[in-house]
Amino acid sequence: MTRLTSDQARVLGALIVAVALHLTGTALIEGYSSEFSMRAMLVLGSLLAIASIGQTLVVIIGGIDLSIPFVIGFANVVTAQLYGGGMNFALVCLIVVGLACLIGALNGLISSSLKLHPLIVTLGIGTIVQGSVLLWTGGFPSGSAPDSITEFVSIGGSVGFLPVPWLVPCFVALAAIVTVALARTAYGRRLFALGSNPRAAPLALIHPVAMWTATFAISAAFAAVTGILLLGFTGSAYGEVGQPYLFQTIAAVVIGGTALVGGRGSYLGTVAGALVLTEINTLLIGIGLQPSLVQAVLGVVIVVLVSFYGRDAHVRTTI
Amino acid sequence: MSDNPVSLSVLGLSLKPGAVSFDQEIRRGEIVGLAGLDGHGQDAFIETMAGLRPPVAGHVNAGAKADRVIRSFRQAVRSGIAYLPRDRRATGIFPSMSILDNFAIATVGRDRKLGLISPAERRKRYDYYRDRLSIVAPDPGRMITTLSGGNQQKVLLARALAHKPDVLLLNDPTRGVDIATRRVLYSVFRELAAEGMALVILSTEIEEALVLCDRILVFREQELAASLEGAERSSERIISTMFGRAA
Amino acid sequence: MTAMATSQPTSKVPALKAIWRQTGFAPILFVVLLAINIFINPARFSPSAWGTLIGLAAPLVGAAIASAPAILGGRGGIDISVGPIMGFVNAIVVLVLIQKLGLTSPFIVVGAAVLIGAAIGALNGFMATILRIQPIVATLGTYLLLVGTTLTILPAPTGTVPVWLKSLGGPLSILPLGAVFLIWIGIRRLPYYDHLMAVGSDDRAAYTAGIPVTLVRFLSYVITGVFAGVAGLMMTALIGSADPSIGPTYTLIAISAVALGGVSLAGGRGGLLGAAIGAIDIFLLQSALTFFNFSTFVLQIAYGAILVIAIVLTALQDRWLGRMRGAA
Repeated sequence: MTRLTSDQARVLGALIVAVALHLTGTALIEGYSSEFSMRAMLVLGSLLAIASIGQTLVVIIGGIDLSIPFVIGFANVVTAQLYGGGMNFALVCLIVVGLACLIGALNGLISSSLKLHPLIVTLGIGTIVQGSVLLWTGGFPSGSAPDSITEFVSIGGSVGFLPVPWLVPCFVALAAIVTVALARTAYGRRLFALGSNPRAAPLALIHPVAMWTATFAISAAFAAVTGILLLGFTGSAYGEVGQPYLFQTIAAVVIGGTALVGGRGSYLGTVAGALVLTEINTLLIGIGLQPSLVQAVLGVVIVVLVSFYGRDAHVRTTI
Repeated sequence: MSDNPVSLSVLGLSLKPGAVSFDQEIRRGEIVGLAGLDGHGQDAFIETMAGLRPPVAGHVNAGAKADRVIRSFRQAVRSGIAYLPRDRRATGIFPSMSILDNFAIATVGRDRKLGLISPAERRKRYDYYRDRLSIVAPDPGRMITTLSGGNQQKVLLARALAHKPDVLLLNDPTRGVDIATRRVLYSVFRELAAEGMALVILSTEIEEALVLCDRILVFREQELAASLEGAERSSERIISTMFGRAA
Repeated sequence: MTAMATSQPTSKVPALKAIWRQTGFAPILFVVLLAINIFINPARFSPSAWGTLIGLAAPLVGAAIASAPAILGGRGGIDISVGPIMGFVNAIVVLVLIQKLGLTSPFIVVGAAVLIGAAIGALNGFMATILRIQPIVATLGTYLLLVGTTLTILPAPTGTVPVWLKSLGGPLSILPLGAVFLIWIGIRRLPYYDHLMAVGSDDRAAYTAGIPVTLVRFLSYVITGVFAGVAGLMMTALIGSADPSIGPTYTLIAISAVALGGVSLAGGRGGLLGAAIGAIDIFLLQSALTFFNFSTFVLQIAYGAILVIAIVLTALQDRWLGRMRGAA
């Protein structure tokens, strides 16, 4: 067997933590490994992992995307509104994801062409998006979700003999596509190169502005997909539905071993990170903690996990 | 050599507003050296030829005529001009990537099969340059940073050569490179020239330029001070031109 | 040539130019927004009402000032736990000190706020500089921990504050703000300030020059924590009770104010004055839009738009200044 690279070790580490958490939960809480609980965790984990696709790509390129929760809310509300207004659902999805791509592209374009910190750009653009949606709906979104999407994400759903909704196998396929795209396409390799050394990238025929624009557009697109799926999950539109995803996507990416300085990481790691977060949440709620305490413990867990393998280099080693 | 076809030419080029402009032709199989005190224009000249900085006046052409003017780095690469940057760490390597990735990144489209990068294809291309440049790297899947400086430089040279250029611009290629690697690089440069490539080497060591180059362009105060060929090439001559004490 | 000619007159007023470079468009925005506010709502902005206004703006200004030092330290330095620190201080002061223990003495309350801030700042600094967890992740951990803890000990708004503290929510809010600025002016006179800016603009060079990079950055988080503690006190004075939901909202708005005020998120550039002006801009903007009875939705759009436009303009101005310097 060949030696694991440090990246693979991090992914494996996160997976082991997820499994350990699951075993702890099963030992401590009755019904933790019951079919319903497993299904629920798979659905919630899949949703978080899809929302984190964009954050993973954006972090690999050396940025960060704070607009994800706002775009999720935008997609959630606009989809319900348009579909409720009688529009064809496929067309609605096309419009919503297309608009999200434009929002994301603007994020990437402004950040990279003017060399502005994406933290502040995505926050500003996200705020505008959220304000616009609220203004459009007057703060009270209406509309509804089509049954097809509700069924697609329903915890009780099944695919043939598999006791999971279609969301789960579709997500597994999506994860495979993302992983292959990162490893085996020109875009994927350029993404890592640009994050690894932005100054060397143009000399290797990598176009930083184009890459940033495309990557932030992809990020927003998957945020929009998450928003649409969440509409199916909750049944009605809610503008703030994306808020938990602001920090959770970052946490999933970082727990999965993707470094915020750019140039390294993997989507598999993010999936493991999403599993870890879902397990912790379920476990803590399961042992009877209040949601507020769950949050507090989550903060500690993130820091502890990251301090094991997500540490930066000392400045003396960078000279 | 002066009968060989022109691979790259500059016409009426000025490196600074008000500086005297000059013409140059670089021919197939020629090795041209660039010398000068630090910051006296040789850097600007090689970067201009690479399409990295717009000329103040005049233009750079791929070939002899003014119909293939180089306006950008990408266009330069497309026109068969490859460039090896000076600062390996700042603008060369991608430290968190593998040796293979570092080699293939600039020509990543060439390994595509059915839209995906074929590892076998990439490995085959790499192996050719590994043998040619005698890169010492047991496992090309390892990080580039596990290699010595000399071998990192060879990987970067392989990256540039993978463009299959007609003209190779080398910005101080032996900086921080051990003696053994230097010898390898020198013989590679000569082979490439013998095969018909035109090489432009910016060197901070006069001895190196004397050993390698058929012709040495000496820069002073952003102007071309002398083009020394054949018996004119001597370290005294180069140094006196560099300091502006030219006879 | 033209660039040189235009640079001539500006170089005659280097002080002004320095402020312009340091604060970007925030002062211009300040003048414009102030004029609009005075024009549309003279009563609210009459000199006699300034005290109240300062009180209203104080927590936001405090939060922005608090966010700046950690950002100035560079290499991704940021403290997103500033808002939660404010909320935590608010909860501890009102719930524990005043309500449970009956300790209302200013010395104890102020001392406790500063100490809590310093302790959390030290924790952040420890994680970000000694454990070397990326600052946004480390302070995200603190963010979640503090928000969770605050909500656990204080599930719903409650409590009252002593008269002296309540009075700091009005005109007297100038006292804590002034104190923070005096401390900062003091810091600026120390070699520490130069070290912080050097570390922020190029930590490698600073390290090679013998500056204790880790210590300098660690202290920047402690300063941020202390200032956040004071900001929490100002927020407590303004709302006059304990409320778990208000504190965390200050984090992102404070970081926006800092960016608006010309502080580079890459570190090493900008100052607390810029951050404060950026915060006042946001306050004036909110004030003007609320007057027109615009919904909070429009407020949000305008706030996001101004933030993006201002930082874009600052970036363009930087380029322009850079080009001018290059030509001269």
